[in-house]
Amino acid sequence: MFGLLASSTPPIHITSAYLFKIGPLLITNSIFYGWICSILMCTLFIWVARRVTVHPQGGLVQFIEAGVEFIRNLVESSFEDKERSYKYVPYFVTLFFFLLMSNWLGLIPGVGESFLKGENPLFRAFTGDLNATLAVGIITMGYVYASSIRESGAKEYFGHFFIGSPLNPLYLVLGILEMFTDATRVISLSLRLFLNVTIGEIIIAVFSYLGGIVAPLTAAPFTLMELFICALQAFIFVILSVMYLAITVNHSTEEHLTDEDITETINGDAKMATS
Amino acid sequence: MLILAEVTNVAIIGKGLMIGGGLIGPALGIGLVGASYMQAVGRNPEASKFLGQALVFIAIIELMALLAFASIFIVK
Repeated sequence: MFGLLASSTPPIHITSAYLFKIGPLLITNSIFYGWICSILMCTLFIWVARRVTVHPQGGLVQFIEAGVEFIRNLVESSFEDKERSYKYVPYFVTLFFFLLMSNWLGLIPGVGESFLKGENPLFRAFTGDLNATLAVGIITMGYVYASSIRESGAKEYFGHFFIGSPLNPLYLVLGILEMFTDATRVISLSLRLFLNVTIGEIIIAVFSYLGGIVAPLTAAPFTLMELFICALQAFIFVILSVMYLAITVNHSTEEHLTDEDITETINGDAKMATS
Repeated sequence: MLILAEVTNVAIIGKGLMIGGGLIGPALGIGLVGASYMQAVGRNPEASKFLGQALVFIAIIELMALLAFASIFIVK
């Protein structure tokens, strides 16, 4: 009798599955849904961009404007030099909205176990695949490294890994270890996003399995929690990559300060203290 | 002994140890972050604007818990 109330095992897919082939390329359900999401996002944001006005109109446009403003303030406040930060704003705003919409579109009903093609689901969240998040991570960190090298110069950038002269064997080994630590940021960024999305899906699947016929009641709190976590993960991906960029860029601006600037700052502080 | 070996699936014990041991550390870490945040807010109520930074640190710690959770699928 209880067999009617619940299926025998919770349906869980921890990896993406192959759907069809285009030439030598195997297309997985994750990238297939990623394409659909990209088309939807492009349509939505082009539609929004044409409706932006000086006087706020309310509605969806204002929400997206607020999101853009939020990321812009985040990037500006991370950099010491405001002028330098403006050229990095567009990339991070795009990244934030791409990850946010990919995560949220993976949670809507119909994505996941609902539509099956053979054994495997037809749609899967784009960020629920390690290949997808690894690609996003590599592109982001590549951009961060390229910008850091452009801002501070190649010699100075690679020099800051070493505490002393690289000819000293101890400092050389320490510097190379430091470089490897730096390279693990790609993996930690992409693994964090992938695991949060995938494990969220598994938790929702397990709790709807435990619920049996009242599955909506048991799965709803975890779906709401996932809505929050997906937004938080998109924000954390952005804030961490902004921080990685801001550390090296701020480091290079500090060294350009002359003695006059420093004495002026000290005098200014002294005046403020006396007055 | 033979019967015991037949009825016990050792992988279950391994999974239990993995998820239990893997979650206890991040749980303590998130608890410490939360405690420090509440202490800071208690001393200086203006510190409540750093909730975003506290959440970033929680997300960094959370990765360890998620790695432990994900690795139970490897054990058969």
